[in-house]
Order: sequence, then C-alpha cells, then structure tokens
Amino acid sequence: MDGGAAIPVKKVAVGDRSFAEEVRKLQMGAGEEFHGETILCVTKALLQAGVSYIGGYPGAPMSHLIDVMADAKNEILDPMGIQFEQSASEAAAASLLSASIHYPMRGAVTWKSVVGTNVASDAISNLASTGVTGGSLILIGEDYGEGSSIMQERTHAFAMKSSLPLIDPRYDMEKIVDLTERAFEMSEVSNLPVFFQLRIRACHMTGSFVAKDNKVPRYSTRNPVPRAEYDMTKIVLPPASYAHEKHKFEARLPAIREYVRENDINEIFPGAGGPFGIITQGGAYSMVIRALRQLGLADAFGNTEVPIMVLNVVYPLVPEQITEFMTARESVLVVEEGNPNFIETQIAEYAHRARIDCAIHGKDVLPMAGEYTVDTVRAGVAEYMSDFAPEPYAATAGSRYQATRGAVDTANEILRDHMPEPLPARPPSFCTGCPERPIFAAMKLLMRERGPMHVSMDIGCNLFGSLPPFHVGNTVLGYGLSLASGTMVGPALDQPVIAVMGDGGFWHNGVSSGAINAQWNNYDAVLVILENGYAAATGHQRLPSSGETPVGAASEVTIENALKGLGVKWIKRVDSYDLPQTINALRDALDARGSQLRVVISDNECMLARQRRERPQKAQAMKEGRAVTQERFGVDPEVCTGDHSCMRLNGCPSLSLKHSADPLKETPIATVEDSCVACGHCGEVAHAAQLCPSFYRAEGLFNAGPLRRMAHAVNKRLLSMMGAYE
Amino acid sequence: MTAERPVAALIGALGGQGGGVLVDWLVTAAEKSGYPAQATSTPGVAQRTGATTYLFELFPEKNPAQPPLFALFPGSDDIDLMAALEPTEAGRALERGFVTARTTVITATERTYSTAEKVAAGDGTVPARPVLDGLSQASGDLIALPMKELTGGVSPQWNAVLFGAIAGSGVFPFSVDDCRDAIRGKGVAVDQNLKGFEQGVEQARLKAPLPEEEDGLAYNGPPPGFEAELDQYPERLRPIIGHALARLADYQDDAYVRLFLDHLRTVKALDTSDNMTLTGEVAKRLAAWMSFEDVIRVAQLKTRPGRLDRIRGELELPDDAILNLRDYFKPGHAEMAGFLPSWLAWMVPKGSGRAGSGWSLHWPTSSAWGFAGLKLLAGRKGFRRAGSQYGEEHAAIGRWLDAIRAAATVDMDLAVQTAKAAIWARGYGMVRREGMATLDRLLDGWTEKLGDPAALKAKVDQSIILAHANPDADIH
Repeated sequence: MDGGAAIPVKKVAVGDRSFAEEVRKLQMGAGEEFHGETILCVTKALLQAGVSYIGGYPGAPMSHLIDVMADAKNEILDPMGIQFEQSASEAAAASLLSASIHYPMRGAVTWKSVVGTNVASDAISNLASTGVTGGSLILIGEDYGEGSSIMQERTHAFAMKSSLPLIDPRYDMEKIVDLTERAFEMSEVSNLPVFFQLRIRACHMTGSFVAKDNKVPRYSTRNPVPRAEYDMTKIVLPPASYAHEKHKFEARLPAIREYVRENDINEIFPGAGGPFGIITQGGAYSMVIRALRQLGLADAFGNTEVPIMVLNVVYPLVPEQITEFMTARESVLVVEEGNPNFIETQIAEYAHRARIDCAIHGKDVLPMAGEYTVDTVRAGVAEYMSDFAPEPYAATAGSRYQATRGAVDTANEILRDHMPEPLPARPPSFCTGCPERPIFAAMKLLMRERGPMHVSMDIGCNLFGSLPPFHVGNTVLGYGLSLASGTMVGPALDQPVIAVMGDGGFWHNGVSSGAINAQWNNYDAVLVILENGYAAATGHQRLPSSGETPVGAASEVTIENALKGLGVKWIKRVDSYDLPQTINALRDALDARGSQLRVVISDNECMLARQRRERPQKAQAMKEGRAVTQERFGVDPEVCTGDHSCMRLNGCPSLSLKHSADPLKETPIATVEDSCVACGHCGEVAHAAQLCPSFYRAEGLFNAGPLRRMAHAVNKRLLSMMGAYE
Repeated sequence: MTAERPVAALIGALGGQGGGVLVDWLVTAAEKSGYPAQATSTPGVAQRTGATTYLFELFPEKNPAQPPLFALFPGSDDIDLMAALEPTEAGRALERGFVTARTTVITATERTYSTAEKVAAGDGTVPARPVLDGLSQASGDLIALPMKELTGGVSPQWNAVLFGAIAGSGVFPFSVDDCRDAIRGKGVAVDQNLKGFEQGVEQARLKAPLPEEEDGLAYNGPPPGFEAELDQYPERLRPIIGHALARLADYQDDAYVRLFLDHLRTVKALDTSDNMTLTGEVAKRLAAWMSFEDVIRVAQLKTRPGRLDRIRGELELPDDAILNLRDYFKPGHAEMAGFLPSWLAWMVPKGSGRAGSGWSLHWPTSSAWGFAGLKLLAGRKGFRRAGSQYGEEHAAIGRWLDAIRAAATVDMDLAVQTAKAAIWARGYGMVRREGMATLDRLLDGWTEKLGDPAALKAKVDQSIILAHANPDADIH
C-alpha cells in the first residue's frame, strides 16, 4: 500500500433502531406505573437515584441500558446535566468511577461479567483500594448459564478479593429498583464501589414498579463541582495503600454490614418455624419458591411454612444474622449457584466459631456447579426436605418429586418409541447473508490446498467460524487478543501467526495487545479484520470506525489510519462477498513471509443492520411506484445432485435441504429459502470451489420505465419462440 | 377459590423467527386483560440462528390479594403450553421435561434443518413425523400448524400464526380480542400479522389431525414404444424403471434407452433376490448415472420450458415485473475437456486448479441471446457420444456392472450393496473426480476380493456409510 494517502472515512448509516419509547418511559414521574424489562427498570432507578454520570461497554445482557442512554441525549441527559459515555472498553468504563473518588457524585457503569470485570479489573482494584466519596455502582450482567456466550465463571470471587459489596437481589421488580437506589447509599456509607449483579434471564424479565421522579444530580454539567481536590491519601502508593487495606476491613466492610442489618436488606421469611430452613442468594429465591410450590410446600404467592433467609447482599455476609438464623435449627440448606461455594463455607465457619450445632447442606444435595434452574434446585430441595425436614414436609416433598419425575419419564419414553435418536442441537451460527461467512469459506478452501493451519480467533460473531461447517479456528482467548494469542503458535508450526478479529475486538484491545505488539516485535503475522461497522454481536452499537460517535456525531477514526500510524505497510481491503478476491488476498498475505504484519480487512456491513435499513426503504419505494429490484438466489432442483458440498462451505440458514420429487435422487437436494437476502455467497462458493452449476441469481425489477418494459416485451417474444415457456 | 399456580408457556424459536415479538404480544395481551404476567428469555448468542426459548407466565386471576410469584425458568411437568416454530424444538423441550401430559403443544410442522443435518453428504435429516407423533401421544393436546401451507411460505408471519393458535387454544384466560389489540398496539405490519393471527386461531379451532405421510415422489411414465419392455419386469419395479426410461429418452435418445435395458437385462438374469431388489436398485442408480450431468445436460435443464416461470413464481413476480436471471457457471477443465473427444481434449488449458481461479460466468439466461446460447449447447446431444467424458463414464459404469454381476453369483446382498455404492458417482468437478476415484478403489481387484465375501461386504458397507457421512467430521 502507498503510505500517506488520505483514506476516506467509511460511514455506516445506522439502521432505524429507535429507543424513543424507552426514553419516554424513563421520564415518568412519581406515582406512575412503570412497566418494562428489568434492565430498563434499573436504568430508571439510576435516574431516580440522582446519578451524575453513566457509562459502560455494551455486552449482552446489559447492552440495552447503553442503547437507550445513547438515544436519551436531548430528552434526559442534557436537561439533567448527566454525562454519558459508551466506553471503548470496560477498563475505560470502570475508569469513569474515578470521578467519585474525590467528589460526591453518584455514578454507574455497566458491562457483561465476568469477562468485562476481567478487563476492568485494574481500575476496579485501584478504586477499591482508594475508596469512593460519591456512590459508585457497577451493574453487571452475570452471563452465567443457558444462553451465555462466555466461559462459565462468576463475579463473586472478584468481589471478595477486592472487598467490594456484591448485591444479588431477589427478582421482584420493586425490590430490584429499591436495591438499585440503595446501592448508592451503601457505597457512600462504606466508601466502597458496589457490584450489583443481574443474571441473564433476570435482565430480560418483565415486571412493573411505581416510579418516582427523576432526581437532578447535585453536581453535573449544569452545576459543576466547586473546585478540584487534592488528597495524597487517595493515591495508591505506600503508605496510603496499606492504610487502604486496613480501612477496608476495619471501617468499610463493617459499615456495609451495619447498613445491611439496620435496613433489613437481607430478608427473613420465618414460615412456620421448625428445625430446618433454607438460606438462599437473592437471585436464586424465585427458583427456591417455585421448587417449593412444585413440591407442595408453597403457594403461588410464595407463602410457605419453610423458614427462608434471603441474602440480597451475598458479600459481605453479616455473621450475626446468619448465626441467629441457624440457632435452634438442626440443619439449613444453602442454595448457592456456582463454585467455589463461598457462602456455604463462610456459613460453616460462622457456625463453627459460634459453636452452633446446625448441619449445613448445600453442595451435597445441589449440583457442584452450573446454573441453578428450577429443576436443579427442586431436585436438591426435594432431597434435603426428604432427608432432613420434619413431617409432613418430608413426605409431601418426596412424593411430589417422584410424581414429577414419573410424568417426565413417561413423556420421554413415548417420544423415544417414535424417535430413538436424540434430536439435533442448534449451536449459534452466522445469520443469513452474514459478511463474516465468506472469509471462513476462503480459509477452509485454502486449507484444502495447503493443509491445516492454526488460526487464533477472537470474541464476537467471528468465533462462529470455528463451529461447523467451517471448523476454522483453533483457540480463543479474549477480546482483541487473537493476534497476541497466536504469536508463539505460528513459529512453532512454521506458519505465519494467523489471527481473525472483528472490528469491535480491534478497537477494544486488538490495536494495542495485538497490532502494536506484533509490529514492534517484528512478527511474521497475518491479521484478518472483519469490519462490519458495528459491535454487531451485542446489538449494533457504534464503534470508533463506524464513522460516528456513540451519540451519532461524525467521527474520523479508521482502522487503516490506526494501522498506518503503527507503521503497518501491508494492508489490503477486500469486498467480503467477493470470494476470489478474498482468497487471493489471503493467499498473498500468507505467502508474504517475513514482511512483518500483514492485514486483510474483510469489509461489508452487518447484514442484519443493512436489512433493517434497506427493507423499509424498498417498501416505501415500491409503494411510491419507483423502480425497485428484489433479488434472491436459487437452486435448480434438477441440476443439484445432492452431495451437499455447498453446505459444508456455507452454513447459511437460508441454504437448506428439501426432499426431491425425483425417484432417481437418493439424497435431499439443496434449496434456497425465502429468507435469502441475495448476498451471493452460495453462488460464489459454487464458483470458487467449482462445485456445481445449480445456483442462479434471480432479480425482479418492479415498476420499470417504458423503455425497459418495451425491451422486456421483445425479449419475452424471442424467448417464447425458443420454447422458454410451457 | 384462588388459583393454585400461574399458567406457564414455554416458547421455542430459532433466532430471527420473531419469538421476541410474540412474547411482547403475549405480555401486552395479559396487561390489557388485567391478568398479572411475566416473561423472560435467553437470547444471548442464540439470537444468531441458534435455539432461543421464552418463558411466559400468567396468573389466571385478576387483582389477586397478593402479587403472584413468577419463575425465571421453566419447571419440568409444570408447563401448560409448549409453543414451537419448529417441531424438533418442541421435541427437545419434551426431552428436557417441559412437555408432559398436562401440556398443550402447538408447533409448526415444517423442519428447519440444523447445520449438523445439512453437512452430511447423504441424508442426515431428521424426519418431522415421528417427532410429531411422539409429541401428540406424550402431551395433553397437539395443535399442528402447517406453516408453509398457511402463509404461502412467507416466514415473517409465522409468529403471528403461532400467536393466533395460542390465543385460540384457550390455555390462557385472555380473549382473542385482547390479542388482536396487542398486535394493533404494537403497530408493526399490523394487517399482515392480523391475517396470520386469524389463521392460527382457525387452526386451533380445527385441530386437524396430522396429514397422511406421503413419499412425495413423482414418477414419469415410459416413453412411447417401451411399454412392452416394461411389462417384462415385476409390477412393483415398473414405476421406477418407467421413470428411468423416460429420463434417458429425454437425456439422449431411444438407442440410449435400449442400452440401459440391455444392461439391466444382464442383471435381471442373475437376480434371485426377494422382490428383485437388486434389479430395482440397479435400475435406479444406472439411470441416474447414465444421465450424468455434462455441459450439454446442464444447458438442457437450464432451458427447460417453464423454468423461467418457475423462478418468477419463487420471487412472486407480477406479470409486469421483469426477471433478470443469471446462472452461475464455472466450467472447469474437466467439464470443457469432457465435452470434446479425447484426441482434442488435451488442448483445453488445465489452469492452476486453485480455489478462486478459473473462468467464472454469470450467464444471462433470461435474455434472449443468453437463452439462445444455452439452447444451442443443449442441442449438441449428438456430439455427446464422441466426448471424452462419455467414454470415461461408461467405462466406469461397465466396471460397476461387472462387479455387481460377479457379486450376484456369490452373495445377493453383496450385489445389492455394490449397486448402492454408485452413490459415489455424484456431483461435479472435484467432488465427482474424488467420488469416482473412491469407487474405483473399491472395485479394484474385485475378483480377488470376492474370495472373501464377508470381508468385502464389510468393506462395501463401510464405503456406503462413508458416502453418506459428513466428510469433514474427522476434523473434530
């Protein structure tokens, strides 16, 4: 590439994705009934608590908060003087809380955990040491269990090692909103930033609460802090750092415990008393209650005779509360998701120190790790009740549990009689028309030519390339880390370092840990950047290279400029749907051994975003009688021989199978379904891999002009003469 | 008397099928009718075409004294309604305990195949019918929705049809009108969605039994003049042989049909299998093989009368819209050389053979001149017998038939399996070359291999399994 030439800023026109309705709801006043998903209710709670600033990095299940805030500039943020940032990474988001170290400003940041917390950990640890003056809230979407896209870990350990309170609320909307507001008070009385954790399903839960007025923050862009403050004890250096640690255990955590006790943050439902009981995390409470109801021990409103203690704050625990609950009980069941079982072991320690003779059950009857669903909790609670609860509870729980098992087994036996094989699973994959699909077809074809290559993958949609049908991608290590994670692999295999990264990963961390590192160390490396214009996997948030700031103003950051600034000379941008161009660029990059970092940018907008924008435009044009084309691909059923080689280089949801009516065809044939968006990849693959001549591209032209129509009539007559019509 | 439990619905959809909108409608309908309700979901990465589930719970009592407690997870044997936009998703819910005798199941009957099913080189598909039968017997009630039939294949309405069926099933206490209002209130594609909704309501009312299973095969009758030949075969085999004769007459000419019959007769003479299974298998595979798709055949198929209209139908083009059709051809060395006699074939340049190289054509078949070009090529049938591919294919067919006949004298089952091994003669280009090479290796040294029929049978069986499997499976 020639250096220095101006690179035009690519601007993606963000599709029609409006959060106006949500923004309107966030302006509700006192006494109005607010109805919505938890994540939106929590956003409202932040405004009711008088936050001065909000920030975060989008990631399911917390993206919605950021999407809505980015749309709320005129109606909420500016009038109230609230600052908002969609940060470039979770580390940047966590760093925002620095504003609350000296100044009594309330602030909230959010991300997906545990991954986001890992990225943010440097800032959080420093913040936990220094302590805060203004209430500081870290809202985390605990992406643990079904539907999660990340490694299965919990944030609990992180809260403990940094001595940060961890709120795990009972999933009742009033409770969640109340605890969100109280979290700021907890932070202020303890000088500790507070983690507030919501599981995936809890974030998407619908519910309602009675709104309060939004509170204008004390300090804001409309009312600045009077002066900059300096305090040497707030710098994390000796001797202050030792004092910080001492302060955590002598003042801050005790202050939290006192607040929790005084304000009844943890809840006790005494039931009918008795020698048994359940201690549960707030977030697992609804599972426990549903399990009890199914076992005949609770009603539909949660009324139960079983004594229950609900820990809405799971760190720090309040030992006196717990020993009080255990006193006079022969046993308790601790319902705690994940492992290590921090709560259970701490409770055991409290019982031991207080010499309380209460047996502690938990992981002996509940699964060692993994998400606690209604079914897993019910099995554990049933076992505990049968073995340790007094009658009639034990007998009721036991027989009800068996009845459920019987009903489930019967249904399964019936299905197996008809269908002996287990039914197919559906791992996620690239969407119809995804521009990230072709690069993996290209890599798979290149591997057929030159043998297997080790490819390091990144976080984001690109990771689906490592699943069937592509099987391209050997490791994944973290966001923006694909290039760095390949550096010791390439030379060991006598191949270049080969890494795939999305544009999101590039800006998050890839530019520093990946590109700078490789360039500086002079590595023989090929980096493939999939530039689709958005943080697509989390809901199409803008990126530095989207050509727009998070709130829609123009921006001139480009991937090429960043790379050129580092001295990267070999950069090729390819049209992602052009398979030969992609294959040739990859081949060239792989063969340019020894020329430092080579970058192939595979460029095309996320198809979901593009369709969201173009569909209404086309519909409008059609309505107005303007010329419109509609395209799709197709397969000639007679030509397809049904060997499915096209499927193994594609994986498009709209490229499917159907059973042929031709008795001579033994296997199902390929078919293109109506959902096709005419990206052309199936045709390109058939071409590039020389598969078959079955594919065609059909374009319908509506509302054509008179000249085109006349030509069409002549053409039709000629075709008719050649016998094209029946 | 107060209700004992919420009414729970588990909804299984695939990313992009509109499950989220459906749940929005349900929540709105509950709000409008005044019943407490809660919904939750696990989109996560599943929004990208994977399986997604939604849980909707409604308390069947207005203004209860206490707020009811809803759950975030479905509980086994605690689901009143399992609604799925895909039958195996309903089946998977059953496997997980969410369909029991108390459950009403509403499901689309059409399969949406998973990647694992698509990548098998043979038939990896899971049939819908046994799953539906299992669901029907294991559940309290089954409402089957033939979505493609109902919506004319327009998938965006599937969630509306499902919503209609849910409303019509009576599992929830809200009225059908509350549901209609929910669709209107959402304000998106209202007319289209209401139309789908009414279809769903109607289906829930009809509760049509599952349709009779059909094989969906369409047999063509024999070409004129071959009826007497056909009568020499058992009645059971006549449809497939008649179809084979029709195929070859269309492919080439009557002489070619007779060549087929000559081959088949030699097999029939040795066939002692029950119902003449061997003859049937050979007829089917020999006809498929003899109508191997060379450039002439492809040109013939692409210029079939009615093809352009069929494609117009796929796009739902009105009469005044213009169709612009581009066929994707990439004639490689094998296809070009195969067209020419072997003494000329060497002249065709070999090219690099690398992926992404070679000659790409986006042929304008809908234009008069593009069509004429293909028509011209399709008319070159007479040259086919002189082409090098013809010679090679028929030599391979000869080796295969020899192997079948030799096997038939030793073990009839082996002969049938050998006939089935012709599955390797499939595809185009590289796929075909590799398949034919595999078959050649299997048939190589056949006479000696026949000395140990058991071992050979195992080898042939293995080869057939391999032909049907996913060739990339060893990557794992």
